Parts: sequence; structure tokens; C-alpha cells
Amino acid sequence: MEDGARLMERVRARDVDAFEQLYDGYHRLVFGIALRITSDAALAEDLTQSIFLKLWSSPETFREGNFAGWLSRVTRNQALDVVRSRANRPGAEMPAEIPAEASTDATVFARIDAQRVRGALSALSEEQRTPIELGFFAGITHEEIALRTGIPLGTIKTRIRTGLRRMRESLNETVSR
Amino acid sequence: MNDPLDRETLLDLVAAYALGVLPATQCSLVASLILADPEARREYDEARATANLVGLSAEEPVDSARAARMKERLLADVRSDVAPRRTPAGAARSSAVWGTALAAAAAVVFALVSVIQNFSLRSDLHEAQQRVAALQTHVDADRRTVARDRGMLTDLSASDAKRYTVAYGTVVTRGAHVYLALTSLPPLARGKVYQAWTLARGAKTVAPSVVFTPSENGLTLVPLRADARSLAAVAVSVEPEGGSRQPTTKPTFVQPLGAAQMQSGERGEHRSLS
Repeated sequence: MEDGARLMERVRARDVDAFEQLYDGYHRLVFGIALRITSDAALAEDLTQSIFLKLWSSPETFREGNFAGWLSRVTRNQALDVVRSRANRPGAEMPAEIPAEASTDATVFARIDAQRVRGALSALSEEQRTPIELGFFAGITHEEIALRTGIPLGTIKTRIRTGLRRMRESLNETVSR
Repeated sequence: MNDPLDRETLLDLVAAYALGVLPATQCSLVASLILADPEARREYDEARATANLVGLSAEEPVDSARAARMKERLLADVRSDVAPRRTPAGAARSSAVWGTALAAAAAVVFALVSVIQNFSLRSDLHEAQQRVAALQTHVDADRRTVARDRGMLTDLSASDAKRYTVAYGTVVTRGAHVYLALTSLPPLARGKVYQAWTLARGAKTVAPSVVFTPSENGLTLVPLRADARSLAAVAVSVEPEGGSRQPTTKPTFVQPLGAAQMQSGERGEHRSLS
């Protein structure tokens, strides 16, 4: 299959075949994240549908970089938004999209797949992995993570930082092998 | 930067921001730091790229029936989007065909059978459409928020922005937009807030603008709802909760807005507006 970023270029030109390839390549990712966050297969299916339709109708929303990473973030944010609207509570806010200065993620992480990411996450200590996974999939703030785990807030911040760094190093190693 | 937090703590916040675990109140503060500090910027770029990949760990096989159903629905929508629209001539020909008695009879039979068989399906479809509409509303709201934040960050970091140093920070104007980027504001007494004021060119009295409280991290970013091009000055004062119609205390600062690019070192604090 072609790289996601290249397929998106073709989608911009209204290429249905490219869109079909995009769906074949990435629906497991979108559905998997949506299901993990919502714990509701029907809702995850609706979210998957909605996100892919949005890719088709507004392909310009993806500009450059690692497509899988971008799609992962988009799915996470939309799924959390639905969960929050059901629970009627605010949560952590998605970072404003400060434009990347260099698409380092695109060049370094273009070939990263789910297996490599799982490997990098499992290589972290549990105390580093837990706040990162809670932050990404539960969409709670670092303060809520601290409350939920009973660990001081300062420690949570440090573990998120060092955990992400180690994960990056680990992924870099797998890419350079 | 005169920030009460040490550098390591600030950089820890950058990673948390990239992961998306900061409360909304802190996001704009960290965004400002990232724009101002190259090391924070690098930290953010790397942490964001890595954090985005965390989601890949959730990828899992989708059962074939579900995957096929989703794909069928999706491609039907997409193909209908790219299908050429019927021309008036084509529609006329189609009407002629449907005008035959045989076709009409077939249509009636088909419709009756369909109504009976698809009653529950239509109900499900209606429910699904409502859910999609609700999701669309959220998506649109997200896009508006991101666009607003992106515009604000672009203004703050733009080389053509005008920056005025004031007590506790900087007033930034660019085009019609005006922002207060304030650090280490003194804490407020209970029941008090900071309130921004704007003085229009030629006006003799100030107009009330937004009220705000300082962030616990010491960096507060406040966009003002006024056209910077028509303003002669901005000011901030401490007011009772809810704000005032006219300043009731000595201003924390008053800053005239002129043509100068950067008035570093100039402090307009505690000056009268008149």
C-alpha cells in the first residue's frame, strides 16, 4: 500500500481508489482507537465513518507529517469529545496545532507500525507507561492522572516527559535497525 | 522570562501539553512558551510526534462483517459525492420512462414491499443520522477552536506584530488584533479580578473589556475584543468580581498604542488615562 500522506494527495484530487486504499490501510487504527476510548462498538463504527468521511470532504486538514500519527490524534480527540459530551464534562485540551518547524516525525517515523509502538510502550516501566496511556486514551488531565494513581502531580509530569523521550529513543532504534 | 516555575518544570508541562493532558486554562500559556523558547519548541515537536504514535498501539483487527459494512456505507457516500449530477435532459427522459403504466405499477408494488420491510431500518438510519449530525457539530466546534488558537499563535509570533513592554508582560498588536501576554501578575484578593480597558482614538473615557484572573503558572494570555487599529491605549486594573463599568482602582498599567515596533523598557504602569 502507498504511504498515507501520498494517498491523501490523491484523495485531494478526488481519487476514489486512493480513498479506498486509505480506508483499507487505516480503518483498523481508527476503529481501534475509537473503541478503546468509547468502549462502544456501534459508536466506534459511527466515529470511524465520520472520520473517514471528513478525510474525503476536507482532505486539506492533513498537511504533512506522519499520517498515521496525525490520524491517531484526530481520532483520539473526536472520540474523547463524544465521550465528554455524553458525560457533560470538560477535559484536557488538545494542543493548538502549532505548525511543526520540521516534519521530523514524517521522516523518522514514516515506517512505524502498531507492533513497533506496542514494543516501545511495553519497553517503558509501568510507572511511565500508565500516565501516557491514561493521558492519551482516557483524555484526563495530568491532575486527574495524579489523583487516579495517587502519585504527586510533579512526578506525573516528569514521568510523561521521560516516558515520551524513552519511547522516542526506542522507536528511533527500531527504525535505524 | 520572569516565571516562578523552574525550567525543568516548564519543560515537563510542554510534554504534558503535547500529550494533550493539560487543562484548557494552561494550554495557551504553554503554547506561548513554545513560541518563545527554542528548546521548548524542540521538546514540543519531538513529544508531539511521539505522543501521536501512542494511538497506534490500539490498532486491532475489525471483524470482516463490520469492516465490509463500514466500507460499503462509506464508499457509497463517496461515490455519490463524485457521481455526475443528472442533466435536465436526462431527467426528462427518465420521466418519460416512468410515465409508462407498467413501470408505475412496479414502483407501487416495490414501494409497498419496501415500506413494510424497511420500517425498522429507517428508524435505525434516522438514529444513526442524528448521531452523525451530533458528531459533525463537535467536529465543526473543534475546527473553529483550532482555527482561533492558530490565528492567535500566528499573531503572537509574527515578525510584523507590534510589541509594547508593560508591567508584568507585553501588549501585542497585529492588524486588528490585540493581546495581553502577562507574566507573574500579583495574586488577587478574594472577590477581585483583573479587568482590561480600551481607549478608542478620540474618546475621553475608557471602555470595559474582558475580565481575567492570573494563571497559577504565572503566564496569562488575554485576547481583547477590540479593533487594535482604532485604539489609542489599553489598560488593566483590579476590579470587583464580574468587572466594572469604569475603573475603580489605580491601573496596573496603561499602555498607549502607537506606531513604534518595539518599545522595550518603556513601562506605562500606574499612569492616568486622562
